[in-house]
Amino acid sequence: MVEFRNVSMSYDKGHEVLNDISFKLEPGSMHFLTGPSGAGKTSLLKLMYLAQRPSCGEIMMFGRDVAKAMRDELPKLRRRIGVVFQDFRLLDHMTAVDNVALPLRIAGGSGAQINEHVEELLRWVGLEDKMLSLPSTLSGGEKQRVAIARAVIRRPDILLADEPTGNVDPEMAERLMYLFVELNKLGTTIVIATHDSALVKKVGAPRLHLVGGRLLHIEGNKKDISDFNVGKERDQ
Amino acid sequence: MSRSFNFLPTVKSGEATRLLPWVMAIMVYLSALAATGSLLLHSGFDNWASSLQGRITVQITGEDKDQITAESLEIQKALRQTPGIEEVRILSDQELKTLLEPWLGSGNITDDLPVPVMIDVQTSEEAYVNLDALESKLKQISDNVYLDDHAKWLSHFYNLAYTVEYTALGILIMILLASVGIVIFGTKSSMSEHKNIIAIMHLMGAHDQMIAKAYQKRFMYYGLKGGLIGLLLSFITVYGLLNLVQDLSGGLVETPTLPYLKMSILLFFPLLFASLAMVTARITVMRELGRMV
Ligand SMILES: Nc1ncnc2c1ncn2[C@@H]1O[C@H](COP(=O)(O)OP(=O)(O)OP(=O)(O)O)[C@@H](O)[C@H]1O
Ligand SMILES: [Mg+2]
Repeated sequence: MVEFRNVSMSYDKGHEVLNDISFKLEPGSMHFLTGPSGAGKTSLLKLMYLAQRPSCGEIMMFGRDVAKAMRDELPKLRRRIGVVFQDFRLLDHMTAVDNVALPLRIAGGSGAQINEHVEELLRWVGLEDKMLSLPSTLSGGEKQRVAIARAVIRRPDILLADEPTGNVDPEMAERLMYLFVELNKLGTTIVIATHDSALVKKVGAPRLHLVGGRLLHIEGNKKDISDFNVGKERDQ
Repeated sequence: MSRSFNFLPTVKSGEATRLLPWVMAIMVYLSALAATGSLLLHSGFDNWASSLQGRITVQITGEDKDQITAESLEIQKALRQTPGIEEVRILSDQELKTLLEPWLGSGNITDDLPVPVMIDVQTSEEAYVNLDALESKLKQISDNVYLDDHAKWLSHFYNLAYTVEYTALGILIMILLASVGIVIFGTKSSMSEHKNIIAIMHLMGAHDQMIAKAYQKRFMYYGLKGGLIGLLLSFITVYGLLNLVQDLSGGLVETPTLPYLKMSILLFFPLLFASLAMVTARITVMRELGRMV
């Protein structure tokens, strides 16, 4: 589903924030992305949600090298990816319902069907009485749940979540994690960047560990990690 | 392909694009006035030119009133025999007086003033009257006969009318160009205002066309709104001015009549400006987005 081959990246020709990263994620897998602050977790996710291009290397997604994709091919690829941004990135002028409906509207859907679907999901994440609230009136945790609902509403092939439980209480964190696991069971490939080591332990999915822009190691118990090539040069 | 979907927030009070409908209103107002002026002049000129068309004025001057009167009768006879001439009429003293009064002042025209005799000649539309031949023929009767077919005047006025019309056209084109420039500015400022929104739309998989559509719709609306306001104001101005002219002249000066049919073209101005704004916004957005990653 996702394969990085010797990928490096820098912002605006600055120093490299990601250095020679190689790994492979199987379809339907679930991984955590861990590492200290500034290690490059968000940057790695940005490459995956096609907001940045690598300075070198190949990124295979959906069977093609997205690093070289033409601009007008990106929308189609992006619609298969759901993203929970670390800073949420909700549209401030739209209600919670409209924010969550956004990916569906962009994909060309309309009407009552969308709303029904959206409202159901918002109820599920505990926002039944915040449906028509604007993001500016929501708490951090509420915004986060809206962002998560927006990311999963289109049932993406890949879900990329950047600190999705950073602003909610442990109970809600677990509930959201349950949502991710359920989605994963339905076939969605999932990568979750997090600092929450307790949650990582609890879910027990394999872990991509970044330090200083390098992929150091992968730990995991539940899933097969033999597919990963970490810290070694790939022979091609 | 991608359906339209208005994801843009309503315009905030501090936004530069808020001014855009008003600027468009001014643009349409000015161009409607330029066009009205040009049309008014054109139709006024046409009326006047066609009244002179096929008209020859024959003038017989001289000190001796009796002599020129005798000559004029002879000339009238000669003219009536000339093929292609439909109507010959010697202007009465009274008519001459009214013609001269504005220049000399009433009461200043005394009987001993050497007033020429004027003959108004109407040629038939189909026939061509050779003016030179006619003149030399009439010169045999009197040395002091002058023919004027107003061609020189007409050509002067044609020149003037063309100049005015081309100037009006030039003004119109400049206004259109300025409007395009303003819409480009407006679109760019609007896009930078919505930078984050556009980025999110892109990340959610929106095509450039979808984003462009939202902007082109918005700017088309600005153009239409401003255009209708500007047009209305221009109509009010024109009618106000005409009424003023009518009141002032008290019937002395002929009030220009509006060429209504031709002026109905002005109704398309708001549409023209709206489409111009739409196309400009679309091109601007697509070009700006094309520069992004
Ligand atoms: N837009 C940017 N322009 C330039 N440098 C950036 C940009 N975003 C991040 N960086 C730099 O890239 C490095 C990695 O940042 P990144 O956001 O990927 O870290 P992170 O692992 O997500 O950190 P955190 O856990 O705090 O979210 C940091 O040194 C940061 O300063
Ligand atoms: Mg981060």
